[in-house]
Amino acid sequence: MEIRCLTPLFLAVTLLSTQSSDAAERSPIRKSLARISNTSQEPNYRQPWLPGTTMSSSGTGWVVSKDRILTNAHVVSNARFLTLEKENDPKKYIAEVEHVAHDCDLAILKVQDASFFQGTEPLDLGNIPEIESEVSVYGYPIGGDRLSVTRGVVSRIDFRPYAHSGIDSHLTIQIDAAINPGNSGGPVLQKGRVVGVAFQGFSGDVAQNVGYMIPTPVIRRFLSDISDGTYDRYMDLSITTYNTLNPAMRQGLGLERDDRGVFVSNVASAGVCFGHLKAGDVILAVDGLPVASDGTLELEGERVQMAEVAERKFKGDSVRMSILRDQKKMDVTVPLPNAWPFQMQANQFDVQPNYLLFGGLLFQPLSRNLLSTVQFQNPRLVYFFEAFVPKEIYKEHPEIVVLTNFLADPINTYLGEFKEGIVEEINGSTIRTLQQASEALSKPSDFYVIKFVGNGRPLVLERTAVEAARERIRDRYGVQQEQYIDASAR
Amino acid sequence: MSRPILVLSALVSAALVSAPAISDAKTAAAPDSVLNAPNQAQFLQNIVKVTVTAQAYDFSRPWSKRAPNARRAIGTVIDGGRVLVTAECVANATYIELESADGEQKQAARVEYVDYESDLALLRPESAPFLANKAGLKLTTPNVGDQLSVLQLEANGNPLFSTGKMTTAEVVRYPIDDSSFLAGRLSVSLQMRDAAFALPVLKEGKLAGVMLRYDAQSSIMDFIPTAVVDHFLRDASKSPYEGFPRMGCSFSTTRDPQLRKYLKLNGTNGGVLVTQVLKDGPADKAGLRKEDVLLEIAGEPIDSDGNYKDATYGRISLGHLVCTKHFEGDKVRVRLSRNGTSVEAEVPVSRRSPGSYLSEPYVIDKAPNFFILGGLVFQELSRQYLKEFGSDWQRKAPLELLNIDRTQSETDSETRKRVIILTRVLPSDVTVGYEDLRNLVLKSINGEVINDLSDVPKALQKAANGVHRIEFAGDPSLIFIDVKSAEAVGPSLQKSYGLPALNRMN
Repeated sequence: MEIRCLTPLFLAVTLLSTQSSDAAERSPIRKSLARISNTSQEPNYRQPWLPGTTMSSSGTGWVVSKDRILTNAHVVSNARFLTLEKENDPKKYIAEVEHVAHDCDLAILKVQDASFFQGTEPLDLGNIPEIESEVSVYGYPIGGDRLSVTRGVVSRIDFRPYAHSGIDSHLTIQIDAAINPGNSGGPVLQKGRVVGVAFQGFSGDVAQNVGYMIPTPVIRRFLSDISDGTYDRYMDLSITTYNTLNPAMRQGLGLERDDRGVFVSNVASAGVCFGHLKAGDVILAVDGLPVASDGTLELEGERVQMAEVAERKFKGDSVRMSILRDQKKMDVTVPLPNAWPFQMQANQFDVQPNYLLFGGLLFQPLSRNLLSTVQFQNPRLVYFFEAFVPKEIYKEHPEIVVLTNFLADPINTYLGEFKEGIVEEINGSTIRTLQQASEALSKPSDFYVIKFVGNGRPLVLERTAVEAARERIRDRYGVQQEQYIDASAR
Repeated sequence: MSRPILVLSALVSAALVSAPAISDAKTAAAPDSVLNAPNQAQFLQNIVKVTVTAQAYDFSRPWSKRAPNARRAIGTVIDGGRVLVTAECVANATYIELESADGEQKQAARVEYVDYESDLALLRPESAPFLANKAGLKLTTPNVGDQLSVLQLEANGNPLFSTGKMTTAEVVRYPIDDSSFLAGRLSVSLQMRDAAFALPVLKEGKLAGVMLRYDAQSSIMDFIPTAVVDHFLRDASKSPYEGFPRMGCSFSTTRDPQLRKYLKLNGTNGGVLVTQVLKDGPADKAGLRKEDVLLEIAGEPIDSDGNYKDATYGRISLGHLVCTKHFEGDKVRVRLSRNGTSVEAEVPVSRRSPGSYLSEPYVIDKAPNFFILGGLVFQELSRQYLKEFGSDWQRKAPLELLNIDRTQSETDSETRKRVIILTRVLPSDVTVGYEDLRNLVLKSINGEVINDLSDVPKALQKAANGVHRIEFAGDPSLIFIDVKSAEAVGPSLQKSYGLPALNRMN
């Protein structure tokens, strides 16, 4: 789905047949574009004490303000070294990431050498383009070294998943201009204004002439969010809702026959609505906008999902709701003090894997990153991951601490059956996070007794055996560091 | 246990295309030693072809059955004019026909006893004369190292023997999940004829076992040895049939020296750690507890891997000692170590019926229950239902339901007998807005907690304000259905979806 460099999709014929756009539009734009080369390093989840493999990839960026470059988050993810190149300038400029928003795949770069911006002009942001109107895509895709321009029309505007984080969906515009690896981060222009940032597409064997760009409402939201110096992420109501189309449903909930109101099915206890909304409430209006029985509302002339309202909010804002609770109308104000606190279900970047090594047993918190590296057989792990939010697994296990692997040693010869187990208790203390596991295992005790979720036997390690094995395991497997725990990366 | 089932179905299709009756000189020339010509005719009197027509219920459309299919087995006549086959081949049977080996006589038969856990069944001909004058094969014990013959029949009724060596005797999983019994393993190359079930395994003209499964790739056959057959036959001689008893607890090995120290097992050898005791099960009644270490069962020392020393088969799993060497209600003496002190107890071993599970491990020969309310289809959760999601049901079935099925032994439910799920919606005027609902766990109807399908019609009597209030554990957590229209739509639902009935509550 995602456009990354060096995955050749279709050949360059369509790409190279760039059309000559009107000269007035083209020249200032060319100067304000940059090819971004990223030398990145993937985290190593199998042996987290070792650095991961390095890779190089490239994408496109453009001047968004007098001294900043905008691009996709995935172009600069896990970067160790970033360089920028401009057309007709032999120099390579060293850049660094100032802000990155993985949930909407956007990033802002700074350039060390201010001379980069000599002769560049920030590109202006436009609005949402009309369906069927023409747009041009600028960038440095595969198939050549120089700037490429392709042209197409706006095919549709829709709420779509963003492949980079894997769990977020925002407004997306589909265009039929060729978008290829390397185009990522490049501007899509109409009448001299940026109307989107090319960011993802399909590989040629899935669908053709389908490219997606991030539209300007998402870009503007990102720019406003970081205007105070930090990115606070999207706000989310963290509730599940259900339609009230059925007449009996409306009658049972005490609703009028006006096709209004969406039923609040569940309220996540870690979300912002907890304490303000209750399962069983009916939301009649949000910020004064009436909510229809299918959960949509009209926002700026478009019928959109109710969640869109929260999409446009920032940390510290609030949402006003008119609700029906126990058949009584009331108004509630839901403050938005923070984004959803758990990140383990999203693809994560620029994080070092947390781990704990004890007696040759490797403990790691369950995450999407871990699951994409290691193939687990234990169905319980899959269940805990999938049910993490809907079944509120996070209440008992804000981190799901998994015994992922063994560094084979006489101390753990008989412990194979515990692989992929979820730690529940160590020496009688309940374990909710990797940090707690580390603390429990650092308290001296004759035996370390680890209980796992389920009905198996406890895992028992004898202190003397652990101590005797420690150096042996470190030497044999080249472990420089026995744990890395950064609780902020949950 | 999808693998053995797959192997069997592969055999069935292979049998359909294979050309009959061209016997291979090598396999046919190695008949069981006592079977010279005159004996052979007499011997074949005790062998019958069994053709089963089976029709299983479709658990995803519980009101209908699947298309019938045919299975062929070779039955062994047992003392008393009855025919021994595997349970798997008579599962969901609608018609069973016996045919003498020479093809001259045919007779309809019925299942007299069937035990899906030990995978054995006894058939009785509908009218007596068919097997009259047949002595029945005697049983003999197969030993590891024995040369055993597997009997098949050619289309003309001639026997085809394939001989191989018994390599192992081990407690393994039987076709029904969660059932493990002793199986013999035979290294034998079989050319399958049209019967793919219950091939007799012979030793010196006597029955040593019945084929459980055969893997053509590795030429390995697992068979049900006479130790298990004998238990089944003894149970079948009593009424009611009682089946193979269990202790009602789970164990784990204690080989790890660190674990042994922690459990204070320093001065002892062997023993297994009790990790779970089924509430109100035999072990619970005998006072066994989690973290006890089981050292001895019926006087036999248990080693740290959970094996005992069997007089015939050497080190094999204690499961054989408990299930096959004992009968329902036997009081089995056990010796335990509890916190380092020795304790003795008597466990009144007993079979756990599939009906006592929250999610039944198998539902065979039984129509699935269901209840349709205005197009909402309610059913009991069972593993049979989950298996409707295909051969990789363990990944394809809804996670929440899989999790309930998998972890049911971890949660003691005092009141909940069954998990009732909304499996699907047959869209009607009444269900507008609810068309996409499926596989939701039902919590309550009209405030009444649902512990069983029979609770559903009772709870529907308690509607208030003309609507039924239906709560689920999941999303949506609540829906309402109009009482009158749900009732009224019944006949038209039946008509448009071709439902023979709106519920089945057995």
